[in-house]
Amino acid sequence: MQGIVIPITMVPGNSTIHRMNPLPKLLWTLGILALSFSTRNIAVLGVACLIGLLLVFYSGITKAYVRVAMILFPISLTLITLQSIAPAFPRPWTAIVGFGPFTIYQEGIYSGISLLLRIMAMTTWAMVTIMTSHPSDIFTSLKKIGMPYVLNFIFVMTLQLIPILQSEFGIVLNAQKSRAMKGSGFGAILPSMVPVFVGAIERVQQLSISLESRAFGSSGKKTSFRQVRMAFSDYVALFLGFLVPGAATYWVIVDKSLDWSHSMVFSPAFSITLVLGATIGFLVFVFFAIRAALSA
Amino acid sequence: MEPLIKVENLWHIYPVGNVTALRDVSLNINRGELIGVIGQNGSGKTTLVKHFVGLLKPTRGKVYIDGEDTAPLKVQQLAAKVGYVYQNPNHQLFARTVKAELEFGPTNLGLPEDEVAERVEQAIEFFGLEDLRDLHPYRIGFPLRKLVGMASIYTMKPDIFILDEPTTGQDNITTRKVYHLIEKLRDEGATVLCVAHDMILLAEVVERMLVLRDSELIMDGTPRQVFSNHEVMASTHITPPQITILSLRLRKDQQTLDDVVLSVDEMIELTKQSNTGKK
Repeated sequence: MQGIVIPITMVPGNSTIHRMNPLPKLLWTLGILALSFSTRNIAVLGVACLIGLLLVFYSGITKAYVRVAMILFPISLTLITLQSIAPAFPRPWTAIVGFGPFTIYQEGIYSGISLLLRIMAMTTWAMVTIMTSHPSDIFTSLKKIGMPYVLNFIFVMTLQLIPILQSEFGIVLNAQKSRAMKGSGFGAILPSMVPVFVGAIERVQQLSISLESRAFGSSGKKTSFRQVRMAFSDYVALFLGFLVPGAATYWVIVDKSLDWSHSMVFSPAFSITLVLGATIGFLVFVFFAIRAALSA
Repeated sequence: MEPLIKVENLWHIYPVGNVTALRDVSLNINRGELIGVIGQNGSGKTTLVKHFVGLLKPTRGKVYIDGEDTAPLKVQQLAAKVGYVYQNPNHQLFARTVKAELEFGPTNLGLPEDEVAERVEQAIEFFGLEDLRDLHPYRIGFPLRKLVGMASIYTMKPDIFILDEPTTGQDNITTRKVYHLIEKLRDEGATVLCVAHDMILLAEVVERMLVLRDSELIMDGTPRQVFSNHEVMASTHITPPQITILSLRLRKDQQTLDDVVLSVDEMIELTKQSNTGKK
């Protein structure tokens, strides 16, 4: 089970990023999200991705990030394969090379690369925020800017349930394997999922009783056990979080010269290598994923 | 005679946090033994028994089941020989009826239909589940659900039963029933290992106890030997049953008792003998 649990949770540390208030981090992440959706320029997306990777390295979460990226990146590679033969671009498309019924298009290669970079940029920044912030700190900060307490609580509990359910799934899978059930395939789904869902429902019912018996929902001002304060540096980061991604988003929207989708020319050799590399990368991932599932 | 379970210099280190859960444990278990595995939480009890069913693999050392090294074997392969009953039956049960739940294990083993049906009937009779066979496992109370969990392993007819806390959360009637069933399993020739904190179960039912402390096997002996070892009891923070404590006090302080007593019946018997001797 250890091998298939994706550790999207806080990685303890004492880097500057860890010590920052979660609000600027959330703002930067949202800013990068807006920027990524506003442009297809691979240089802009590449820089966003690179800065995100530098932050990953700087904050000491590389190992945890790589574990997530090892799953996400090969899956995202399919975008290059699929986009190269069926670009998400208005026609006409410029053909580079053809293989029987398939043709690789200039726009497809460009679209594949930009979509891959977009996903990697967004997830990298999101990982930096999630892996360097305590969930309670994130929601305490959100509460301070007016997010309703109940809504906040629902988010916190949902986040907390994920690792619990992951661990529960591991126990259930082991319980069924010790009854000679194969650990993979459709046959494994029902015996594994029913106990996990029943357990989750029971847990939520018990939680609701426990919450009500401890005055959840009472009116009046609430105190918070974890105190999150804004330092001067956090205000600066917050200000820059508005300014930098905001300005960059404005720039990529108004500057039409940043649309390189038609001006960038990919050679047939590069295109074939890229598409083959992406396809093989994905297939290798699928091979190892199936092998891991079968040996489970 | 080759032991059914043979553990040689077993070490287990959990990769997450680099925690040493077992340190150089060696032991042999023979066919038909009824064994209690005790120790504080985190002492390594569950880690040890999970090696027997292949849920964990040794970091160092070897575990043999019926002469076969478990390291290359999958859990599914070992399941025919080793049955693991989880503490919480909810982790096991998923089918729509108790009967379907009992069929799950043997069908995974690829047994023919008539044999599966026969084993299910035997399990229903053995565990007294006649009235529950068509009910949904989640519709019945926790104590009986736990019996269904045990029965679902029984239908696989393993040589070894590992029962993780078999009496936790049980009412008195079902607890007594579980004691009886464990003895019945042993009488049928099974080897039974109970990971337990229930000292009455350990005193009255099991014949041999393995005591773990801080990832090490510190004692392997009969319940009488274990409960009368003050150093082991104190260092593991295990409290023997009250009747045993009384007998230990009477033996040590009053010197009115020669033996360590494990049950009320034994105490009555000894008292009777003592009175007869005086007369």
